[in-house]
Amino acid sequence: MTASDFFDLAIKISFGLTILSFVLTIGRLILGPTLADRILSLDMLVTLGIGFIAIFTLYTGFYAYLDMAIALGLVGFLATVAFARFLMHQVTGPTAKDAPQPEKIYDELSEEKS
Amino acid sequence: MNRIFLINMLLAFTWCMVQGSFTFVNLLFGFAISSGALWLIREQFGTSKYFKRAWLIFGLGVLFLKELLLSVLRVAWLVVKPGNSLKPSFISFPLTVDKPHEITLLANLITLTPGTLSVDVSDDNKTLYIHCIDVSSVDDLRKDIADGFERKIMEALR
Amino acid sequence: MLSYITGTLLIVASIFNLIAAIGLLKFPDVYTRMHAASKAGTLGSGLMLVAIAVHSGEATIASRALAGVAFFLLTAPISAHLLARAAYVAGIAPWSGTEIDHLKGHYKDKEGHLSSDDES
Repeated sequence: MTASDFFDLAIKISFGLTILSFVLTIGRLILGPTLADRILSLDMLVTLGIGFIAIFTLYTGFYAYLDMAIALGLVGFLATVAFARFLMHQVTGPTAKDAPQPEKIYDELSEEKS
Repeated sequence: MNRIFLINMLLAFTWCMVQGSFTFVNLLFGFAISSGALWLIREQFGTSKYFKRAWLIFGLGVLFLKELLLSVLRVAWLVVKPGNSLKPSFISFPLTVDKPHEITLLANLITLTPGTLSVDVSDDNKTLYIHCIDVSSVDDLRKDIADGFERKIMEALR
Repeated sequence: MLSYITGTLLIVASIFNLIAAIGLLKFPDVYTRMHAASKAGTLGSGLMLVAIAVHSGEATIASRALAGVAFFLLTAPISAHLLARAAYVAGIAPWSGTEIDHLKGHYKDKEGHLSSDDES
């Protein structure tokens, strides 16, 4: 087995394993009993996406994709921070008391109809 | 300390100017040469403390990479091991370091080490709360962190 | 020779990613799952970027890839810490098998103000 054969095989194996990890993480995204589990699996999806782009960079040999991976890491970090703040303030935030509750809106709408 | 680092950078830039090429590799090479020059005059100008600290920070980085690898292997073992025999706990850890950047560094190091994840720091910066995935003895864990990372951080950054 | 190193790095990294994903499914509550995602996942994707740095052999690309690795190592613990804290403050209960809970009762209000150990 030559070096380039081994390299191609390694890229194929890691593509397969990464896609399997994607599927498992999406399983947790669907199952996740709490919101925190879902945020965690979204964070994990971003991490896996970075890994996938890294493998794709090596597969095509076109190194401009590397910038995309770094930018995705930045955006993913900010998204997780925003989600964590949302999780913390959804119960107690300054507007939580005044915000219209979904059931109330539904009730009002159905009252208007009748 | 920062002054000597600035002199080091200045010498590296001078190297680049004289060479006429500002590539990253050339800057690194100039940095290596100028630190060599500073190392030669360590007796006369007292730069040996600078090198000692640089060595300690380098040691902290190596320790960090080693612990990261160990931690991943341990989590991997917990994942692969059949059955569910975890013993997770929230542990409080009394902090000796008190400056914000030292606490940040310690919390980050703790998160990436075997079986521990820092959850929060109390408002008065005295207690760090850690979540451990598999703890057998609370006192042993506290002692490990205090003697390992916390002491190294205090040696390297003070 | 370089291809062998990169290929091995890639396979090891994707195995780490797979372990993180399995851990995400297997562990009992969100705090323990965070261990799997923040450690194994970070090292997995980080190692893939290291593989790019090794394979390219160019200083500009390698330095960019290594800067990316340093960035992930810095941000992963921060997002794990934020998420764990938010989950605890939002009242997501730890797994019933949690043995010791020193955090219990230390959060003074729902804004996340935390009292120290000796204060209470």
